[in-house]
Amino acid sequence: MSRKAASLKSTAAAATKNKEDGKGGVVPRVTEADLLSKKPHISPEDVLKLDRATESYLCPLQANIYDIEFTRFKLRDLDSNQVLFEVSKPQSSPDDKSEKDDESRFVRYHFPIPFLDLKTLGATIEFTVGDREVKDFRMIERHFFRDKCLKSFDFNFGFCMPTSRNTCEHIYEMPVLLQSEKEELISHPYETKSDSFYFVNGKLVMHHRADYAYVSAND
Amino acid sequence: MGLLSILKKMKQKEKDVRLLMLGLDNAGKTTILKKFIGEDITTISPTFGFNIKTVEHKGLKLNIWDVGGQKSLRSYWRNYFESTDGLIWVVDSADSRRLEDCKKELHSLLKEERLASATLLVFANKQDLPGALSGVEIMKALGLEHIKTHHWQIQACSAVTGENLLDGINWMTTDISSRIFTMD
Repeated sequence: MSRKAASLKSTAAAATKNKEDGKGGVVPRVTEADLLSKKPHISPEDVLKLDRATESYLCPLQANIYDIEFTRFKLRDLDSNQVLFEVSKPQSSPDDKSEKDDESRFVRYHFPIPFLDLKTLGATIEFTVGDREVKDFRMIERHFFRDKCLKSFDFNFGFCMPTSRNTCEHIYEMPVLLQSEKEELISHPYETKSDSFYFVNGKLVMHHRADYAYVSAND
Repeated sequence: MGLLSILKKMKQKEKDVRLLMLGLDNAGKTTILKKFIGEDITTISPTFGFNIKTVEHKGLKLNIWDVGGQKSLRSYWRNYFESTDGLIWVVDSADSRRLEDCKKELHSLLKEERLASATLLVFANKQDLPGALSGVEIMKALGLEHIKTHHWQIQACSAVTGENLLDGINWMTTDISSRIFTMD
């Protein structure tokens, strides 16, 4: 299993039309381009209307005025009680340049194909908060394969103490996929994507992106 | 629990239950949380912030909040009271020196309006340690028998062995479900 960061230079996604909801109605949709032209800030309601993963970042790195930093990510399988993946960020100095470009907010994952058959997963994030308290911290994470939403996670942390170190493990059932859908995911690497949006007081302050490939063990 | 909050609960699709775990520092809150969820407990350091686990348990979605208990952090506890369905108070049963402090902190929480509708579970933790007081002794030391404002129970347990953790959580979730979800 390997992990490497890469920067993407794509522009905003092409406009998408509103989608029929199958009941004769229309679900209002918003495109990434709509949101990028929206000022001064992006709200949770905005990103929940996106019907696919983003191609660029919906806020600048400088929006993170609370110095929230993600320091660890861990994925474990609860059925076998095994850690599948763990990455910790080394302690960084405040003027470390590498922390301040888009590479720091994009991750490319290569997961073994059997990951698609796991049943119960636990995903842990750890983050630190700067000198100021954070009143209303909310995370929205959405996973897409093209325009199919595989999983959406919306959690309100609420208050975070100044200079705190916090963890959150979200334990969940893997979305049930048909064999044909799994094969689609496998045969189209990096078209499975996720967006992690972080809001303070309803304003987007951080946006992380990832994409995924499912590979056989000897690749 | 007021009618408004009952209606609010009923509107939710998922049966979300919020449990808040508090107690003095070194009581074993994080160890209980990790053991309950089946995580490795060999390296646990003091919590300077919170640890959250969200997990399905008996058809409920439990959101368990473990908030650091160091003295300097206790003034932040009030930020986590809102919408709490169950309060888990964790006691180091072998730390008899700080039982008075422990009692004082617990009773000040029970006066909080935003915790008024919460079920109280007291974990008399560290039963595996020699010299640990029993559940009954902890109950008396904390004056639990005088509590009339909350549903409460005390459970002697050991976070290290896992003994009785599930019993305690099961009692609490059953009590909360019967209070909140009976109108489903």
